[in-house]
Amino acid sequence: MELTAEPRRETTSWLIRNKWTVVFGVIIAGTIFAALDFSCNNLTCVTAVLSSSLRQSTPLILGALCGVIGERSGVVNIGIEGQMLMAAFVAFLANVYLGNLWMATLIGASAGAFMGLLLAWMAVSLRMDQIIGGTVINILAIGITGYFYIPGLTTQGKFAPITLGPLADIPLIGPVLFRNGPITYLAIILVFVLHYVLFYTRWGLRTRAVGEHPRAADTVGINVYKMRYINVILGGALAGLAGAFLTLEGVGTFERGMTNGRGFLALAIMIMGKWTPIGSWGAALLFGFTYAMQTQLQFKGVNLPPQFIGSLPYILTILVLAGFVGRSRAPAASGVPYEKE
Amino acid sequence: MKRIALLLTGLLLLALLVAACGGTTQAPAATEAPAEEAAPTEAPAEEAAPTEAPAEEAAGDCSDEGVLCIGLVTDVGRIDDKSFNQSAWEGAQQAAEALGAAQVNYVETTNATDYAANIALFADQGYDIIVTVGFAMGEATAEAAGTYPDIDFIGVDQFQGEAIPNVTGLVFNEDKAGYMAGVLAASLSESGTIASVLGTDLVPPVVAFNEGYLNGAKSVNPDINIIATYHPGGLDVAFTDPEWGASTAQQAIDQGADVVFGAGGQTGNGALIQAAGNEGVWCIGVDTDQWETVPEAHPCLVSSAMKLITPGVVDLATMSSNGEFPGGNFFGAVGLADFHDHADAVPQEVKDLLDATNAGLLDGSISTGYNPGG
Amino acid sequence: MTKATATEPVENRTTATLRRIWRGISVPLVAVLLGLLIGALLLIASGSNPIDAYRALIKGAFGSPVAIQRTLEKATPLIFSGLAVAFAFKAGLFNIGAQGQLLVGAVVAAYVGFSIEGLPAIIHAPLALLAGGLAGALYGYIPGALKTYTGAHEVIVTIMLNYVAINLTDYLADGPWKDPSPTNIVARTPKIFPSASLPLVGNVPSGFILALIAALVVWWLLYRTTLGYEIRTVGLNSSAAQYAGIRVARMIILTMMISGFLAGLGGSVETLGINGRFQPGFNTGLGFDGITVALLGKTNPFGVIPAAILLGAMRAGSSQMQFSAGVASEITDVITAFILFFVAADVIVKKLIRQRGVDDEQVKLSTGWSSH
Repeated sequence: MELTAEPRRETTSWLIRNKWTVVFGVIIAGTIFAALDFSCNNLTCVTAVLSSSLRQSTPLILGALCGVIGERSGVVNIGIEGQMLMAAFVAFLANVYLGNLWMATLIGASAGAFMGLLLAWMAVSLRMDQIIGGTVINILAIGITGYFYIPGLTTQGKFAPITLGPLADIPLIGPVLFRNGPITYLAIILVFVLHYVLFYTRWGLRTRAVGEHPRAADTVGINVYKMRYINVILGGALAGLAGAFLTLEGVGTFERGMTNGRGFLALAIMIMGKWTPIGSWGAALLFGFTYAMQTQLQFKGVNLPPQFIGSLPYILTILVLAGFVGRSRAPAASGVPYEKE
Repeated sequence: MKRIALLLTGLLLLALLVAACGGTTQAPAATEAPAEEAAPTEAPAEEAAPTEAPAEEAAGDCSDEGVLCIGLVTDVGRIDDKSFNQSAWEGAQQAAEALGAAQVNYVETTNATDYAANIALFADQGYDIIVTVGFAMGEATAEAAGTYPDIDFIGVDQFQGEAIPNVTGLVFNEDKAGYMAGVLAASLSESGTIASVLGTDLVPPVVAFNEGYLNGAKSVNPDINIIATYHPGGLDVAFTDPEWGASTAQQAIDQGADVVFGAGGQTGNGALIQAAGNEGVWCIGVDTDQWETVPEAHPCLVSSAMKLITPGVVDLATMSSNGEFPGGNFFGAVGLADFHDHADAVPQEVKDLLDATNAGLLDGSISTGYNPGG
Repeated sequence: MTKATATEPVENRTTATLRRIWRGISVPLVAVLLGLLIGALLLIASGSNPIDAYRALIKGAFGSPVAIQRTLEKATPLIFSGLAVAFAFKAGLFNIGAQGQLLVGAVVAAYVGFSIEGLPAIIHAPLALLAGGLAGALYGYIPGALKTYTGAHEVIVTIMLNYVAINLTDYLADGPWKDPSPTNIVARTPKIFPSASLPLVGNVPSGFILALIAALVVWWLLYRTTLGYEIRTVGLNSSAAQYAGIRVARMIILTMMISGFLAGLGGSVETLGINGRFQPGFNTGLGFDGITVALLGKTNPFGVIPAAILLGAMRAGSSQMQFSAGVASEITDVITAFILFFVAADVIVKKLIRQRGVDDEQVKLSTGWSSH
């Protein structure tokens, strides 16, 4: 049935088919320029705002990618927050005791992967409701990181930005894109890698098949359980990277509850990005930008209560969502435990 | 499938146990003696660590006449917060040691609705002095003081509108400490731009610190560019968001700020650590001497705008046990912390200026320009 | 067994009832015990005495009339927010926004409580309650309407609105509705008039009684009315519901409003019964705990009550536990997580207690994720 629809779709031009996307894209771009123009009067300021946007988007996009590959394979993950928090804690401890940031990053990602394994076990093997599974992980992470928190530990430094040679000297783009910490680079690379893997490889096809129609996938010989396990565990590792970013690249230390809802924002960003890596990245960048603008408006001394400025990113998100993204559809089998017959 | 399930359960439990054991060997502090860890350097705490004696036993002691017991209720936050809760707790411990108290213990508040209940935990055991930390607990403290007239309450950061005989508000002129920090910042700045990264403006002491900082900086250089940011979230995240503090500090540094004043619990600490990663940027801490509490910031931490909660608590506790509890408001000392390793980097004329400013603030010839009413 | 049925019908009926009750409570009961057991292992492993810790926890939660009162006070807003989340789940909606709706309800109830003077208590208190509930309903209307008219996913919108609610209520408490008394320097509203406050009935907060009534009403609404039937049909299969002539869009908006109303009531009860005013930071986490409570109670209105009391007891007792056993309060989170795990993974529990036979209706919430 898809075949018959195919040729007709080809006849209308991309512009017409996506006219609302284009219109709203232009509006958003215009708003961003206007905001920058209003709050900045030199290039240094624009650079600073954009750098800050990218930085603040990093944990969000990593968390969102975790959600994307989980749901693409049919497992809803509302435990991103908990996976991040746990990984941030473990990565911090690893850095304290090993003094090696790279090892700590790896261990943090592994901790996230372990939490992913836990979720996969609950969701796939026990067929537990996935929202409950995610909630268990969130509460567990708060409890464990709080209970075993050790006051007074200090790390041996955090990741410094790596300058990518002459690329970093390009005005505006250079310092924004090519002067970042390793986890930020990794996050950007992962966006494109995951996009490619999900949509252009056999693995991705299988993953999406399992998320859309597990019964059919099963009949053609795809191991539904295995696919879900692997994707959720990998997703956990991505959330773990987000946690490692917070302690190893962003802050340099661990605090109880330091994720502060970023895992839930990542969930929102995943939906805003319509369950695609690149779409999520766009949403995460927009979010990072609104955060940076919040700060910049205060720098400029705009005479508004901080509570108003503080609400801007969220109100903007709702507006964008209602006006621009519109109806979004999750993978059909997302959230439904699969049972072999 | 079943076997996998069993294996996983086993693994999970094992992992938890390992984590638990790890936790113990590395930090007995997690459960019993937060005191020792809480004071990494000063460590007068050790002797005064909370005893393990069950409350029942303690009750007999504390309600006795002549047996001194000191309790402390934290604001929402932790006893080891590297900030005001921790300072107050160190004060309670030092006082307990100096005065020979039989019991010194604390309860951490996890939810603001528990203030009264947590105070009652101590009051019902017959504790003699109860320290309540944070302006938000002012009302609960005043009410408890009415219920328990024989107990002396020390309310840290609680300004007393009407004097109650058995409550003394330990309050500070944070604006003066902030003013000193501003003078120092403006004197050190070469770029002519300085920043402050702050917790929420809903908390009056934070505003006072910042207003003082602004005016102090302007007193040195009227044309100075000051970029100040409050955390835009609510009270429950404003002081515990180090990543926001760090990225905000970096955003300011990228725009030329070369001194960062971090005032807002963990949020501010995030800003300090971020500043430490930038060449040629100074940072100034808040509340306590953060050289002791945030060693990650040593490369940039030139000083801290302190309010001396610890000695204030000791003084008031001593007065209480001598029967001279003042009631009303008791102004604790404020000032700048030591320069530590950066003493040589601060020019002598700046040091002189700071001394003169301090003297001026003390005798009233210098005004910080902070007016909480308006 | 079958023989016994014939000879002793009366006794059999009682045993059957008992068995049914046992079937209902055995899994949660065993789940709680297992959760406490794992907590005990953790306590032992980290060098604490679990018996001391639990004794203190129970003493702090149930050890005295005052302790019980505190437990009930803690449970009250959780029942409301738990009902709010559970109700939305029934229509296949995930209302993460109970926190925001609760905050808005709390601040509006405070406003009605402090701004109107001279009303008799019989009018003032219900008025304030109602206002808070309606504020919550209005705040729930936004995600419901956006979902039906623009397709915006309620999970995002409610998460965003939580942040907006924090900022909005902080602003009100620090701006137009700030306590103007000269001694006040803090962001908070004035105290409500006594006529608006909810009294204690003996040692039982009247808010708790209201919560019980609310649970009853929600149950009745869901299972004894056409509206409830329609809402549940939408939750099970929205396209089938549409086909059957149910106006799905209206149901979604209505569900979110009722859910918001319940959460708003939770905030009002907290303001009018406990805090006596609105103050930023005083209602933190109550809405999020509602998710846990709803899940623990398997989204059953009556299941929510014991779940909220359990959570309330742990919240109420944790200070005592820290005071007399020196155990950090987060251990209760670990215990809660495991209880929730075992309640949901009843396969494991049933195997443990060798309970066989019919499966209870499995909770399925995340199916709503991709529907509509």
